[in-house]
Amino acid sequence: MKCFVYLAAGVIGAVFAGPLSAEEIDFNRQIRPLLSKNCFACHGRDAKKREAKLRLDTLDGAIAKRDDGPAIVPGKSIASGLVARINSDDPDEKMPPADSGKTLTADEIKLLTQWIDAGAKYDTHWSFTKPVRPALPKVKNATWTKNSVDHFASARLEAKGLRPSAEADRHALIRRLSLDLTGLPPTPEQVAAYVTDKSPAAYEKLVDQLLASPHYGERWARMWMDLGRYADTQGYEKDNARTVWTWRDWLISALNDDMPYDQFTTEMIAGDLLPKATPSQVLATVFHRNTMTNTEGGTDDEEYRVAAIKDRIDTTGLVWLGLSVGCGKCHSHKYDPISQKEYYGLYAFFNQTADADRYNDAPRRALPSAFYYQKQAELLKQRTATRKKLAATKTPQAREAISKQIAELQKQLDQKAMAMKPPAVPIMKELPANRQRKTRLLVKGDFLNPADEVTAGVPSAFHPLPKDAKRDRLALARWLMDKENPLTARVAVNRIWARMFGVGLVETEEDFGTQGELPSHPQLLDWLAEEFRDTHKWSRKKLCKTIVMSATYRQSSHVTPELVKADPRNRLLSRGPRFRLEAEMIRDQALAVSGLLSRKMYGPPVMPLQPDGIWKTVYSTRRWVTSKGDDRHRRGLYTFAKRTSGYPSFLLFDGGSGETCMVRRIRTNTATAALVTLNDPVYTEAAQALARRIVSQGDGDTKKRAAYAWQLATGRPAKPAELARLAKLVDEQTAIYAKDKAAAKAMATVPLGAAPEGMDESVLAAWTVAAGVLLNLDETLTKG
Amino acid sequence: MNAFDEYFQAQTRRHFLGNAGVGFGAMALASMMGQDGLAKEKSHNPLAPRKPHYAAKAKNVIYLHMSGSPTQLELFDYKPVLKKHDGKVCPKEYLEGKRFAFIRPKANPLMMGPLFNFKQHGGGGTWMSELLPNLAGVADEMCVVRSMHTNQFNHSPAQLLLHTGDPRFGSPSMGSWVTYGLGSENENLPGFVVLASGGRTPSAGKSVWGSGYLPSLYQGTQCRTVGDPVLYLSNPKGLDRATRRRQLDALRDLNELQHRRVGDPETLSRIAQYELTYRMQTAAAEVMDISREPKKVLEMYGAKPGVESTADLKSIGDKPVAAADDPAMANNCLLARRLVESGVRFVQIFDWGWDHHGASQPEDMKTHLPVKARQIDRPIAALIRDLKQRGLLDETLVVWGGEFGRTPMRENRGGRYGKFVGRDHHPFAFTMWMAGGGIKGGMNFGTTDEIGYYPAENPMSVRDLQATILHLMGLNPHKFGVMRNGLNARLIGPTDEGKIRREILA
Repeated sequence: MKCFVYLAAGVIGAVFAGPLSAEEIDFNRQIRPLLSKNCFACHGRDAKKREAKLRLDTLDGAIAKRDDGPAIVPGKSIASGLVARINSDDPDEKMPPADSGKTLTADEIKLLTQWIDAGAKYDTHWSFTKPVRPALPKVKNATWTKNSVDHFASARLEAKGLRPSAEADRHALIRRLSLDLTGLPPTPEQVAAYVTDKSPAAYEKLVDQLLASPHYGERWARMWMDLGRYADTQGYEKDNARTVWTWRDWLISALNDDMPYDQFTTEMIAGDLLPKATPSQVLATVFHRNTMTNTEGGTDDEEYRVAAIKDRIDTTGLVWLGLSVGCGKCHSHKYDPISQKEYYGLYAFFNQTADADRYNDAPRRALPSAFYYQKQAELLKQRTATRKKLAATKTPQAREAISKQIAELQKQLDQKAMAMKPPAVPIMKELPANRQRKTRLLVKGDFLNPADEVTAGVPSAFHPLPKDAKRDRLALARWLMDKENPLTARVAVNRIWARMFGVGLVETEEDFGTQGELPSHPQLLDWLAEEFRDTHKWSRKKLCKTIVMSATYRQSSHVTPELVKADPRNRLLSRGPRFRLEAEMIRDQALAVSGLLSRKMYGPPVMPLQPDGIWKTVYSTRRWVTSKGDDRHRRGLYTFAKRTSGYPSFLLFDGGSGETCMVRRIRTNTATAALVTLNDPVYTEAAQALARRIVSQGDGDTKKRAAYAWQLATGRPAKPAELARLAKLVDEQTAIYAKDKAAAKAMATVPLGAAPEGMDESVLAAWTVAAGVLLNLDETLTKG
Repeated sequence: MNAFDEYFQAQTRRHFLGNAGVGFGAMALASMMGQDGLAKEKSHNPLAPRKPHYAAKAKNVIYLHMSGSPTQLELFDYKPVLKKHDGKVCPKEYLEGKRFAFIRPKANPLMMGPLFNFKQHGGGGTWMSELLPNLAGVADEMCVVRSMHTNQFNHSPAQLLLHTGDPRFGSPSMGSWVTYGLGSENENLPGFVVLASGGRTPSAGKSVWGSGYLPSLYQGTQCRTVGDPVLYLSNPKGLDRATRRRQLDALRDLNELQHRRVGDPETLSRIAQYELTYRMQTAAAEVMDISREPKKVLEMYGAKPGVESTADLKSIGDKPVAAADDPAMANNCLLARRLVESGVRFVQIFDWGWDHHGASQPEDMKTHLPVKARQIDRPIAALIRDLKQRGLLDETLVVWGGEFGRTPMRENRGGRYGKFVGRDHHPFAFTMWMAGGGIKGGMNFGTTDEIGYYPAENPMSVRDLQATILHLMGLNPHKFGVMRNGLNARLIGPTDEGKIRREILA
């Protein structure tokens, strides 16, 4: 089992036969994790917690003179105190001490000893040094490669004696691409067009089409809503409604416009501070106003203002740096280079905004989003059309009549325009110079216990701010996007990679620090980071294209027993990605294949069907009133998000509450989630609609209908055995429902409504049961 | 070894930091156990029972949380001296530098003596209020802790601290930790069940039974005695059980074809979860159906099958008010017994309506507190008796309490005293009690000073409570956690201030 542990951790499972040279031991991969896990809590960065004045996280500390000799004597394990201590049988001497709950295995002790004998070479943690564009590795399997990504993937596979998987078929590819780039399955027409496209550029053409789809922005906006802890309520006890949906619209537009990541970042963190900030740039700053507001009786506003600021720092750290800087609230980070003072240095950047946990989330501003621009465009179109009509009218009487019409229309338009006034949303607004707050370090993070004054600054382990820069949020945003920042680009590309492959190149997307997992493909990560920043100039669409154009991405996701053994979690990229869809995608897909989906974009959140009583018991006077018309069937990202009571079916599929920044969703596979897609009225309705869609095809032939249905749900033609099995169910159920008209009626029409004229309810009911099967297939719920 | 087992074995090390984790299929989850010293067992079921760190005193927990925080001074903590001071101005030393939710220290709040009479009960001479006559009858099973304290004085953060170990959002709740650590005895039912009464769920929302940074399968499942007992448990109209079986048979056959073609072990896991839904539909519907209980038992609890809480029907303002004979708590107590009897690991009951500030009738201590007391007194006493007579009390830990206590001063909201009476939030001292699984019965632990302001003897913190509960479940509270941001993230928080209170253990 031991070797599995190493394999899974990405550590080369070395056979400890003889002395290893310095080159054979990788400090960052093999030694630092051991020291970090077992020693740094007491012998690390945090001076306050440091025992015996010994620090082992730096070479200087480790080799420092001590009464009982240095902990480490490079090249001489026999003279090193550390080696004596970790081998000791004396409970008073033994390290790590028994009560720490930590132990080193014999192999780990041996590795540490060999490292010291080989010279105890320390190295900076990999992610704290700037990525350098690596040379493309030479690969044997050069014909397989389609772009540079593949050189890195192939080199790793070849080193393991593995070969990549064959390319997935076109049906699989279009579904994979469509879900990854737009969050929706392809339509039958899209599938037909792609699989019959003979042109060698068919794949690339498809990629370009999907990247240009307006649904691209919706798909990636959902990720940013998790990161930006989006919710339509304020949180905490009262959890009253809050209007911020125009920011969601901003995200969709920015992503669809492929706003460069540096601009996107700057606008969200400090759009209000940009010279001559546009309404859109100020709207972007809602990002950091998504923190919670506590309107519970008797709460101290300052306490929750401070909590919101800390949330902004934590979120900024997680989203851009991949670091949990939050430890610094109470004490210096034990593992990563952020002291408590430096934490409050970051705090100072965010401490100057005018918001202060007020009931109404002030300061707010009415700012239009795409929803309004779209409406305006429609009105203008109407008016233009009427004016054209007027111009085309010759007779004076008719002209007069139309002029009257226009006047009336103008009146109506004006009224509509008034009704269209965008809502005020909470924004970031800097306090004037004379009202700026003094920032003090808070002892143990307690806002009632302020200590020394701290000025805005960035952690010293990283690149400095420009000397003459004003120390405000804008400077911080620019520092994040600075070419010298070792983390930002890596973290960003890793996140996009993870959404497509199911696991990041760095599995711990939120922790690139010394406690995080090491990258599976460090060079690929660095290459992508450099490509993203320098070649693509922070274009996310171009980055996506680079990834999906690779042969690595296009591999089949089929698994063989050999692959399960050699690459159980596909960390070596020996096959294409295969994992369950995210919560919203599962619902969006069901709506799409059943034909119910409304593709309407933007606008106020909607309330689709949810079980009765979910909101009855929550602390809120607001009621869940199911939306009417096509608002019932909008994409998941438009669903009203209440922090204390999220949309239940999304929560059961691992969606978040929006309370804090969510970097990744833990995918689970549970019976209670399976009940959602089996019994939630949303899915019953979708199954009924899908049944009607199916029954309108195939001239009454069950197998023909089954073929159509299968293709709709999975995006691929069914195999004969699959068709036979589905048809068997339909025939059985048709016979049963023919004898029980009441059951058939219920199954075919509740909650969707009366069946279309001429459709037999028992046939519809049977197909509804079968459509339920299709919507619950492992293949349907999975991107493969 | 087949591919399934091989895959399983390869999943030895999982990392799920942050709000995060990747590809936690059922098998992977089960194999994740073992990082924290817990025995690792092979199973398709991530909730399969697992051995604790050491022999457990309790197998199950029924945690009765009184949301809003009941007044200890009218229920358990008898303060005759406070009675003497009734109506006098509160001494400055109790007000200076203190923060209250509504009391304004500068407005010279007045002391308020206990509003109800007390008597001693049982062999331990436990002081209890006249409002709890039935509970008084089981005093010999209870260990009453009067020296509880917390550091949060608003509902939502105090509830989060109590149930998740962190006043902020994002950490797993106690029930999640326990089911994560120990699994559950009945794989056909959720391992962690939440029941709510009083017309409202707790202030901090679903996070008090959320799974935080643990995978979502460990979150509490809210169950109801009326309507669908578990969300989405009932089949759609027109789809009977035989049809469901045929539907699931087709689904399984097709998924097996898929697995043969694609080979992903995760497909097998999905097949297993769908089969589980079928069994869960029967098992959950059966266990939730309290009408199956004999009349005698229903009467003992005061349960009324199928009768929904009256709470939201008679709301005043935005406060739900329920009648004294509201059966919601009784139904839930009876259901809790049925659940632990069926092997559910952790049952969390939330009862809303204990925030007696005195600002309005639903917050009035004189008229509304007796109503709330009536709603819980008989059901909880019945629960303890029932567990005992079935031999379940020894292995079931029962915990009762709010998120903090209430002030010895009368609340003077707006500086005025109206016709209603109440007390403000008080984090410094409050009462909780425990019974059953490994707890000394008939015990009184900890005292407060003569006005009930601070603990006097044996102060017990919320962290102590958490450590003690985990210990009783056989989990070492100092060791039990998951690696997160380089720290062993635990229920009891990052420091070791939380201690197992062995004084109250049997």
